[in-house]
Amino acid sequence: MYSWLVLLPFLGVIFLNLPSKTVRYKLAFWLSLFIVVVQLFFVIVPMSVAWSRILDSLGTFLKMNFSVDSLSQVLLFCIGLVALVTLFVQREMAQDEKQMFNFANVLLLVLAGMNGIVLVRDIFSLYVFLEITAIGSFILISLDESFSAFEGAFKYIILSIVATVLMLLAIGLFVLVAGSTSFEAIGRAFADYPNVFLIRLAMGLFLSGCFIKAGLMPFHGWLPDAYASAPASVSILLAGIVTKVVGVYTLMRVVVSIFGFDPTLRTILFLVGIVSIVFGALAALGQGDFKRMLAYSSISQVGYIILGLGSFTLLGLAGAVFHLFNHAIFKSLLFVNSAAVESRTGTRHMDSLSGLSQRMPVTGVTSILASLSAAGVPPLAGFWSKLLIIMALWFSGFIWVAVIAVLASVLTLAYFLKFQRKVFFGTIAADFNNIKEAGFGLMVSSVILAAIIIGVGVLFPFIFSNFIVFISPLIGGTVGT
Amino acid sequence: MTYEQILLSAIFVPITGAFLVPLAGRVSRFLRNGLSLVLILFSFSCSLVLLPHVFSGQPVFFSYVLPLGLDFVFVADKLAVFMSLVSTLISSVIIFYSFGYISHYENQNEYYCMVVLFLGAMVGLVFSANLIFLYLFWEITAVTSWRLIGFFRERKQVLKADKAFLVTVFGALLMLLGFVQIYQQTGTFVLTHAALPNVAVVLILCGILSKSATLPFHTWLPDAGVAPSPVTALLHAAILVKIGVYVYARLFISSYSIDVFWQTAVPVIAAASALVSAGAALVETDLKRLIAYSTVSQIGFIFFGLAIGNEMALVGGLLYILMHGLAKAGLFLCAGIVEQNAKTKNITELGGLMTTMPKTAISFLLCAFSVMGIPPFGGFFSKYMVFSGAIEAGQVWISLVFLIGAFMTILYLFRVFNMVFLGESKGHEAKEQDSSMVFSVVLLAILSLVGGILIAFPSMLAHDTAVQMLAKVIP
Repeated sequence: MYSWLVLLPFLGVIFLNLPSKTVRYKLAFWLSLFIVVVQLFFVIVPMSVAWSRILDSLGTFLKMNFSVDSLSQVLLFCIGLVALVTLFVQREMAQDEKQMFNFANVLLLVLAGMNGIVLVRDIFSLYVFLEITAIGSFILISLDESFSAFEGAFKYIILSIVATVLMLLAIGLFVLVAGSTSFEAIGRAFADYPNVFLIRLAMGLFLSGCFIKAGLMPFHGWLPDAYASAPASVSILLAGIVTKVVGVYTLMRVVVSIFGFDPTLRTILFLVGIVSIVFGALAALGQGDFKRMLAYSSISQVGYIILGLGSFTLLGLAGAVFHLFNHAIFKSLLFVNSAAVESRTGTRHMDSLSGLSQRMPVTGVTSILASLSAAGVPPLAGFWSKLLIIMALWFSGFIWVAVIAVLASVLTLAYFLKFQRKVFFGTIAADFNNIKEAGFGLMVSSVILAAIIIGVGVLFPFIFSNFIVFISPLIGGTVGT
Repeated sequence: MTYEQILLSAIFVPITGAFLVPLAGRVSRFLRNGLSLVLILFSFSCSLVLLPHVFSGQPVFFSYVLPLGLDFVFVADKLAVFMSLVSTLISSVIIFYSFGYISHYENQNEYYCMVVLFLGAMVGLVFSANLIFLYLFWEITAVTSWRLIGFFRERKQVLKADKAFLVTVFGALLMLLGFVQIYQQTGTFVLTHAALPNVAVVLILCGILSKSATLPFHTWLPDAGVAPSPVTALLHAAILVKIGVYVYARLFISSYSIDVFWQTAVPVIAAASALVSAGAALVETDLKRLIAYSTVSQIGFIFFGLAIGNEMALVGGLLYILMHGLAKAGLFLCAGIVEQNAKTKNITELGGLMTTMPKTAISFLLCAFSVMGIPPFGGFFSKYMVFSGAIEAGQVWISLVFLIGAFMTILYLFRVFNMVFLGESKGHEAKEQDSSMVFSVVLLAILSLVGGILIAFPSMLAHDTAVQMLAKVIP
């Protein structure tokens, strides 16, 4: 029945484009909201048998290899949540109904694409959904037709196509070796012939594709431009979830289901992870534009997820998935905050801003929570995921990797403190004396996200046991804890 | 209420109450101020209720088992109750002082919220018997101190606040790695009596030294003097800097066992710290920076007392935490009165304030006597016991170095008293305007004196505590 999560957004797009312009313009927001809420509901509330029987019989005509596990479930929840926030923000920011309508259409497409990526168990279908998501993202970035947005979208298209070509090549090699496109068959082929040149080549090609899509250093050239030039709501979607699903999730999935755990792969992941963490943070420290700073911060945080994955332990994987979730929450929140600041002050340059939290208290407080969570300050959610990753690295004997990862947190804190100091914490500049708190939609979104950060952080020890149990079937519990 | 409930409410009532403080501030400032004081006094009285029970030899435990060694464990033993009493007592006085000091500034709601939250986290830290929860409360105190140092929100203050935050977090992260190593060895984050490897000790010491502003991580403390005076008193003299000292006592004396080597190494670091900062205090001209350097120097004495490891020195170290907290808070609060009324912190521009603000001057002098260690003030007994314990343990050379440090303390404190309160006035006229502020400093001065005259009671507490710690009864 999970195929409905892919089907429903497509149906939504078709429905929105039926004749009668006035109705569909009015409906655009509510229909997408409905679809997103349905998705969240599906993930949170376990389905009864009766439900799934009806829906399954309807869904079987989609001849794809869908299945859901804990990893997919976490991702589905994140996708739903970020899409929900994006909708609220877009409603606040949209100039007119036409803009909202266009946005809703493409959002639904991207939603279908992401859900597809998360649910398929077949490398070619994965590729198809990757492309749907990527194309939707190009359109979203350039939606407000500004010059810089076109530039950002163009960079994204070019690098994304490179990644696509690499992945497609790899898929060709996979089929050559395994004779099938299902994860299971390819995984078996990998296990049977571990050191064949073609397999190594295919692995390298696919990994490079994933790294480009995830924007990891040194494959990150497109990411800051795309994030910074996109409209506010699109930045949230891109940074919060799209690149995480397209790049990071895909990487996790192929590592867990296909490549298996081997030492070369681990070295590659550690190298890319550490480079991303350290240089991403250093680059973030040097930015003057806060959206670009947040973009580099994304690169740095994804590095932690990659390190967790690279530890190849249950604990590390749990940490990685949990950090993915946390990142979706705090980065979305930070982009919501930046949307609020940009819409009220009309600038993104930190040097021309000052002391805004006196006039925008909700934005100020929630941005502190998100920043501290990202920097791994307890008791906020981000602390726990980083702790799990660090522990996993330390216990599996990679002490220096753990040390670098921990000390990079100081850099993370440094750039977030700079962001706070320049934008929120300080005396209010005379030009901004009359600005008001952000609009209702932005405020609601930021309060919900901040509540999740605090709630998950404070209750973490209590939910941990469920969480690790949740993740363990993924790798069969064979890798030591 | 059972003792477990009292223990938990001493921690969580102020923490949750802190978030009600800004709401109360929307109603009226009296309600807000009253609520803040009540929350802290509540925590104080909880510790007071625990005192007779715990000192009769029955520690209070609360524990809730969680996976991954993250058991939610709180322990009220003698050390913890002693420390929480000291912290809540001093912070009650400081918050009373704030009613006067802070009343002319913006962002008061945030101020009171952060102070109460800080105190709650401090009490939580004191009672934690799980390394991760200890770290959690430790970081909450860092966040609140960041907001409080930057209270005035000018670029200068916020930069200094960021510096303090970054330095302490850097140390704390190294400490966290040490905790992870302990976990690898013992399989739990709950305190045990295992012997620690030296790497873990070094990592944890980095955290402790950064929080307690000891060489080489001490520079943030003088810089943090840009904060409002009650904040400097609260965070940087009386309570926050004692976190490092307390954690040293909790981890390395009463729980884990460490190499004998550290009984010499830590006093050497502490001695260097005490001398260097006493020297800095001798030449400093900014009143608050001077007192901050004095704090760095005195913290060295506390580490000295704790690290030696025999009973006498340990009793001295514990008493030192109390006496130094009272006296140094008094000095900072006096500095706050001077600064607010004379509109300058530069001691070369001040003079002759004795005639216009006699109560402040006398209180300053009494507190200074206690810090110098002049009998019969409380500070004398603590300093004496530390030295006596050190000689007993045979650490003669380091004791001599500390003796020089103690002599320098007398020099710089007389120098500052002389320059600010004696001599001719240099144009900065000042009067004691706010009675709640003057009352607070007089109270602290009297407590420093009474603490010395009635030394029997605090020294009995400290002695019992030391015995329990050295016996490693808890956990």
